[in-house]
Amino acid sequence: MYQALLTRKYLTSKVMPVLAMLAVTLSVGTVLVTWSVMGGFLETLLSTGRKLVGDVTVTWPTIGFAHYDDLIERLEADPEIEGAAPIIETFGLVTFPDDSVRFAQFKGVEGESFARVTGYDDSLWWRPLDEPTAKDSEAQDPRLGDETGYTDTQGRERRWGWDQLLRDGMTLTDEGRPAAVIGIAAGGFSRRTSAGIYVPQAAIQRGAAGGATTLYEFLPHSDVTISVVPIDSTGRPRGEFGLSTQTVPVANEFFTGLYEADSQAVLVNLDLLQEMLDMDEARRVEAGAGGAVVNPETGELELRGFEDMGIDPERVTSVLVRGKSASSREQAVALKSRVEEIYASFAADHAGEVPSPERIFVLTWREINATMIAAVEKETGLVLFVFGLVCFTTVFLVLAIFWSMVSEKTKDIGILRSVGASTLGVAWLWLRYGVAIGVVGSGLGTLGAWAVIANINEIHEWLGNDFGPWLSKVLTSVSSMFGGGKIEVNLIIWDPAVYAFTTIPTDMDWVKVSVVVSMGVLTCLLGAALPAYRAGRMDPVKALRFE
Amino acid sequence: MSEATTNIIEARNLRKTYRMGRVRVNVLKGVDLSVREGEWLCVLGASGSGKSTMLHLLGGLDRPDRAGADGGGPGSITYGGKDLRKISAGELNRYRNREVGFVFQFYHLLPELRVLENVTIGAMIRHGRFGYRGAAKREAIDSARELLTAFGLADRLRHRPTELSGGERQRVAIARALVNRPRILLADEPTGNLDRVTGESIIETLAETRERLGLTVVMVTHDERIAARAERVVRLRDGVLARDGFAGAATAGGA
Ligand SMILES: Nc1ncnc2c1ncn2[C@@H]1O[C@H](COP(=O)(O)OP(=O)(O)OP(=O)(O)O)[C@@H](O)[C@H]1O
Ligand SMILES: [Mg+2]
Repeated sequence: MYQALLTRKYLTSKVMPVLAMLAVTLSVGTVLVTWSVMGGFLETLLSTGRKLVGDVTVTWPTIGFAHYDDLIERLEADPEIEGAAPIIETFGLVTFPDDSVRFAQFKGVEGESFARVTGYDDSLWWRPLDEPTAKDSEAQDPRLGDETGYTDTQGRERRWGWDQLLRDGMTLTDEGRPAAVIGIAAGGFSRRTSAGIYVPQAAIQRGAAGGATTLYEFLPHSDVTISVVPIDSTGRPRGEFGLSTQTVPVANEFFTGLYEADSQAVLVNLDLLQEMLDMDEARRVEAGAGGAVVNPETGELELRGFEDMGIDPERVTSVLVRGKSASSREQAVALKSRVEEIYASFAADHAGEVPSPERIFVLTWREINATMIAAVEKETGLVLFVFGLVCFTTVFLVLAIFWSMVSEKTKDIGILRSVGASTLGVAWLWLRYGVAIGVVGSGLGTLGAWAVIANINEIHEWLGNDFGPWLSKVLTSVSSMFGGGKIEVNLIIWDPAVYAFTTIPTDMDWVKVSVVVSMGVLTCLLGAALPAYRAGRMDPVKALRFE
Repeated sequence: MSEATTNIIEARNLRKTYRMGRVRVNVLKGVDLSVREGEWLCVLGASGSGKSTMLHLLGGLDRPDRAGADGGGPGSITYGGKDLRKISAGELNRYRNREVGFVFQFYHLLPELRVLENVTIGAMIRHGRFGYRGAAKREAIDSARELLTAFGLADRLRHRPTELSGGERQRVAIARALVNRPRILLADEPTGNLDRVTGESIIETLAETRERLGLTVVMVTHDERIAARAERVVRLRDGVLARDGFAGAATAGGA
């Protein structure tokens, strides 16, 4: 009882505990803000890693597997499964309108099913926009206008409405022609600005003789050339010169925020890619005794003496699956085993025609992105380690402050002992005092952190646009007094030109708050423990004689 | 009252040695003291003679030596049939809390607490973490109020010690010592820090209170005139009590 009273009195009448509390408030606040921002950042990174990928993927790489329509039908019949989509994954080259050639990871998809499974429609960049995005204060986003277009190399004007582009992106077609949707960072035809938007920029076409022409290209609805290597069902590249090349229009561009995807992935109309890779439905024949003969009646060339081996069905390399709820690791694993079961029954019905259930790869998106997730988790670990250090220094701070407060209050300890307080009672007084400082300090720290996080974007903006330049000016004038040069301080930590997000993602939740608050309280408890022990062990007579 | 025959507290062969490095200071070299129930005993002695040390031992704030350095057996302090040397730390805490009350020369009030809180602190300790509420709390506050009113401090309850004069502070300290209604009051030069007039009024307060509550008072002083107010005076010299008799016989004017 007296401990509570004295704790309150000591808290309100001394400067020292206020300092200790401030230390706790600051470290709790900093740790919470850092963790929340870092957490939000890593969460964003993880969720971008999930874009263009389903929850679970069934893959037979390169060659692909047949009867996927049947598999998709079976998968979609499952109550736990939201949808499934066929996809072909391969690699090859893209030639852009400025004749630059890039390596590309091709994904052959059907827009509608792909969107259902991956949310691909949200990644399509060129679309109608009513409001400028958060950072685009000057409303410079070209998507805010009615339409867009470009003048091609022949000087022809081409124009489209944004909704037309969005529709084309969804269907992967351009005026009925099968088209491609390209990662927005791949061609370099659009530049990401510090407002986090893309503006078309001039591209330079280099000639063989060393000349260069400046092109103003807007990539959608220009033509690109894609080259892939068809692989036959035995796994070998087809023919001597394996490339299969097609010129296709670009229907739209996509943006996921995952640089690897945005700079290398090219989505192609599934039917087209199937055809280019010889993965479409075909009549398989085997050479027999005959040869090519002209049919005398029709005058057409016919194959004679070839043995008809039946239909070689169309193939895809993967089927992407989206679960109704598969956000947690456990749910994803459960979904994976469900998919494995369905595949097993599917494989049983197509025995000999599809890869066996033991060999097929069924992977969750976490397994597919394992490298990136490991990196993200390592970063989280690093951040937590730094927190530990911060807390550790606070322990010593609290220890020092409490030590000197126990010294200062030596006489009080003697008095309390003389009126009957026990060793433990006196020790508890200081421990309790530590807890009180920890609780109040952590509480204030949490409030402060919440206030910072709620306004993090404004603070970030102020740091970058006002405080940074001001600091630069001050430092430059100081440095010029000593004959030094200009000093630039750039306090824009997250430049939307570099990072995928325009507003700083934060993730402050009750778990983090309770962890950090308990760390703060524990810190104080640890810091107070030794002084409390000393206070309890103090000889009451010496304490009373203390001057 | 002075004729009471029972001893409330009895010290036998009390020894206390302080060690400072290799030097040993034998402060108490075998003190024998019997305090009778309800009496007012005064311990006279020069500065440094060990008066405070003796009082601390009697009040269970300090422990005497285990065995006499000069060959004598271990001493004892008997209160209520128990040897303070042999009881547990918890029992000793209870003894300090309920059976005795300390008053010091320098008041020793807790500076952050108000007068009423300073006085009730002993009751808070007595009733523990969850016991100090309801009836217990009301009783303690009533007791404190009553004492403070008797000491003329009724309108100073919410003051801090620094806002009081020396005499007022010492009265608060006496009230604190008495809040749990102890049987013995141990006063260590309660007037040592006060001017003569104030000192006398404090002694007056002590005398009245003792009368009213039937307290046993052991008071330490080096002031002969104050000692004259006591019923019995003993002198501490060279580590032993020189005389254990009635003050009335030695000095003029009893209580
Ligand atoms: N912790 C200690 N270590 C060493 N010596 C001590 C200690 N405490 C007290 N002493 C010594 O013991 C002796 C008695 O001290 P004590 O305070 O009991 O005397 P006192 O009679 O109360 O004196 P005063 O009248 O000045 O208050 C003194 O000589 C003092 O120096
Ligand atoms: Mg003394």
